[in-house]
Amino acid sequence: MINVTGLDDAAAVIADAMEQQQHLGVQAMATKAALGRDANYDEMINVSAFSGIIDYQPDELILTLRAGTPMHEVESTLASANQMLAFEVPDLHKILASKSAGTIGGVLAINASGPRRLTAGAARDYLLGFDAISGRGERFKSGGKVMKNVTGYDLSKLICGSYGTLAIFDEVTLKTLPKPETNISLLFPCDDLSAAVARIAGIFASPHEPNAAAILPQAIAAKAGVNVAGAMLAIIRLEGIDVSVADRAAHLLAAYKECVKLDTDASTALWQQIRDVDLLADADGDIWKLSCAPASAPAIIATLFDQFDFQFFADWAGGLLWLAGPSGAEFGMAMRSALAANFNGHAQLIRDSGNSKDAIAPLQPLSSAHYALHKRVKSAFDPRSVLNFGRMHNGI
Amino acid sequence: MQMPEPDQAVIDRRETICRDLRELVAADCVIDSVEGRRAYDADGLSAYRQLPLAVVLPETVEQIAAVMKYCHSEGIKVVPRGSGTSLSGGALPLADAVLVGLGKFNRILEVDYANRCVVAQPGVTNLAITHAVQADGFYYAPDPSSQIACSVGGNVAENSGGIHCLKYGLTTNNLLGIELVTIDGEILRLGGKHLDAGDYDLMGVMTGSEGLLGIVSEVTLRILQKPATQRALLVGFDDTGSAAKAVGDVIGAGIIPAGMEMMDGLAINAAEDFANAGYPRGAAALLIIELDGPEIEVNTLIDRVAKIMDSAGASSLKVSNSEEERNLFWAGRKSAFPAVGRISPDYLCMDGTIPRRRLPDMMVRMASLSQKYGLRVANVFHAGDGNLHPLILFDANQPDELQRAEDFGADILRACVEMGGVLTGEHGVGVEKRDLMGIQFTEDDMKQQQRLKCAFDADHLLNPGKVFPHLHRCAELGRLHVHKGKMPFPDLPRF
Repeated sequence: MINVTGLDDAAAVIADAMEQQQHLGVQAMATKAALGRDANYDEMINVSAFSGIIDYQPDELILTLRAGTPMHEVESTLASANQMLAFEVPDLHKILASKSAGTIGGVLAINASGPRRLTAGAARDYLLGFDAISGRGERFKSGGKVMKNVTGYDLSKLICGSYGTLAIFDEVTLKTLPKPETNISLLFPCDDLSAAVARIAGIFASPHEPNAAAILPQAIAAKAGVNVAGAMLAIIRLEGIDVSVADRAAHLLAAYKECVKLDTDASTALWQQIRDVDLLADADGDIWKLSCAPASAPAIIATLFDQFDFQFFADWAGGLLWLAGPSGAEFGMAMRSALAANFNGHAQLIRDSGNSKDAIAPLQPLSSAHYALHKRVKSAFDPRSVLNFGRMHNGI
Repeated sequence: MQMPEPDQAVIDRRETICRDLRELVAADCVIDSVEGRRAYDADGLSAYRQLPLAVVLPETVEQIAAVMKYCHSEGIKVVPRGSGTSLSGGALPLADAVLVGLGKFNRILEVDYANRCVVAQPGVTNLAITHAVQADGFYYAPDPSSQIACSVGGNVAENSGGIHCLKYGLTTNNLLGIELVTIDGEILRLGGKHLDAGDYDLMGVMTGSEGLLGIVSEVTLRILQKPATQRALLVGFDDTGSAAKAVGDVIGAGIIPAGMEMMDGLAINAAEDFANAGYPRGAAALLIIELDGPEIEVNTLIDRVAKIMDSAGASSLKVSNSEEERNLFWAGRKSAFPAVGRISPDYLCMDGTIPRRRLPDMMVRMASLSQKYGLRVANVFHAGDGNLHPLILFDANQPDELQRAEDFGADILRACVEMGGVLTGEHGVGVEKRDLMGIQFTEDDMKQQQRLKCAFDADHLLNPGKVFPHLHRCAELGRLHVHKGKMPFPDLPRF
């Protein structure tokens, strides 16, 4: 393990690795080590020392900090000004069997976003700029410290979700937003997944501005302490100022007689469990995350139930499916063919309970044309494959 | 503005090239007459004009791919063009480049309410997306002021914003998928109706890449339910510092308005002369703050914002009580550019962003630059996100005024970067700000960006001469400093 304190240190380590043709793994708290492929590295670089808040301007909605800053520190800093990261950072430590939510850098590296992603955007939408060291061992920066900027290529998007395979970032600037004054949830009992997806689509076609929408089968809802009759529960969250939330809830409760309201505390607790996938933490087998066109969810789930026994729930109005099912390649392969038949998307293995990764790529495989372009992009930043080589895809 | 030296050998082959292109697209989709090409010789940055080598208007994605493949194999440069409304010269033709116009890609392919998105061809106008879905209560959020004319493909290329992006984001935040044609004629789909890439976010990188990485041949856009209510406040201040502080106070109070616009004294009076919108003529600064959402929420927040404005020392305050009144508040702001056009023969529209707290400093700086260059400047700002649009007034018939105006503009952008901001908030770099990139970025920063370009277009055939002040051969960019030594990177000559 090589501990580095800044980008100049890291540059020297990368330069050595290039000379000696070594592959380096990059980590801070290693809470997301289980994600992606199991790759072998000659050395690990630890960037935990890249920690601390550099500048926080709540009135400007701007937070600049070092990428190794732990999430709890990020959250307490933002809470001091009643603000948040609107993409709702998931804390997957229960399903990943890790110690904590890790660092902001780890969150950005996997582009991790929670329930509000549906309406507020993903982690990649909130990274405004960064300083980094490429796999070439050269410092570069991209973006800026202002909200509106189209100067040069938007490398913030590229670096988010690149699993540390392109560069190591140090200073990152994020857009923050005020925390909503309050939230409540409305539960709509439905007969099946199709009805639940349709109910949510109907509410999104009304001016009541839900900002998150999940679907829980009855047994999963019971795990969250929500016991409402109905095979499938469509759940929407209303956030904002008190009078607005109360008024919108009143309209929806009047329009849908079967609708049940969860007050603020219960609502907050439920969405935290949805966000962190706690609801599947005790399930046996592998856990997969599947991103699809929301209206495709019923067909995909039905296809999978024809072949497998599994538990699931949906977030993002049906566009994000969390599934816990049998270990091995077949489950994931079936997801990927169901996606191919339903407008595409991606299926990712999040928790490998056995040796599934030996049999199936944990990230959605790329077509040959996409792979070739990915490889050239990798090479543009890391031509000697020094950084996290093979973590996302074989050879990248 | 110096463009890359045209390749005379390509220009000499013009007739052959046009004949070859007619094999790839319908004969009348290749425009090679001088008069025909003249229609394409500039975009919204009309100070710069250049006849393209030829104009091709493909009708299918396969035709785009065939044209790209042909140009790639023949070493011919390509300049993509949507509606040609770029304010930074992104679609400025080159004498030795084929201009690929996407004007025939003008169909909306699918409205998908179940997945809340619209699939459209790239030549469809921004406003046409909203028109296609508004009867059902939906709209497309990014609203650049050229929305009646600008194309959604161009919006992707430029990552276009608008007055509502404080709350709803830029194009990149509202884009779900694209189909892309690469310079070697490959057709790739990125994203789709689902969220997030799961691999490298190449769609995110394509957005705002100014036509340097590929041609967008289809877009999938997120649509939103139209807010139930919109109301606006019109607030005058006796000094710009108080107005800037008031904007910060609103956000500090946890309120994100749909839009927060600011105008200075010269802009207020020009707009009022033009639109009779009831703007306070004596004010040094005017804020237009719009709130949208459920009615009770908007009404509550309007009251809160009004109180904040009072505490911040507003000299006048009006709240819209009808759609007519709200539209009137906006009428002056939306006509600010033509209004300024009436008080000056010509103007240059700049586009930098600064941290909002530096706005008072910037006003002082602009006043002193205005004196230095002997030119007036009117200011309209997207105040919520610190995006400035100074309009520098000049007369192109006076021998040195265009040059002075350009120098004035460059100094403003230098000041933006010096104050912690950036060169362009929404108009793009194009050719306009190309030679200023070195103010914001180091050579290493720009080389890393150009290495990404090389991953898409190793021969620099797509839209060369835009965005980057120096062209480096990809082979040079790829060389490594393995021994921490000073391996020389002989730069190609500056153009």
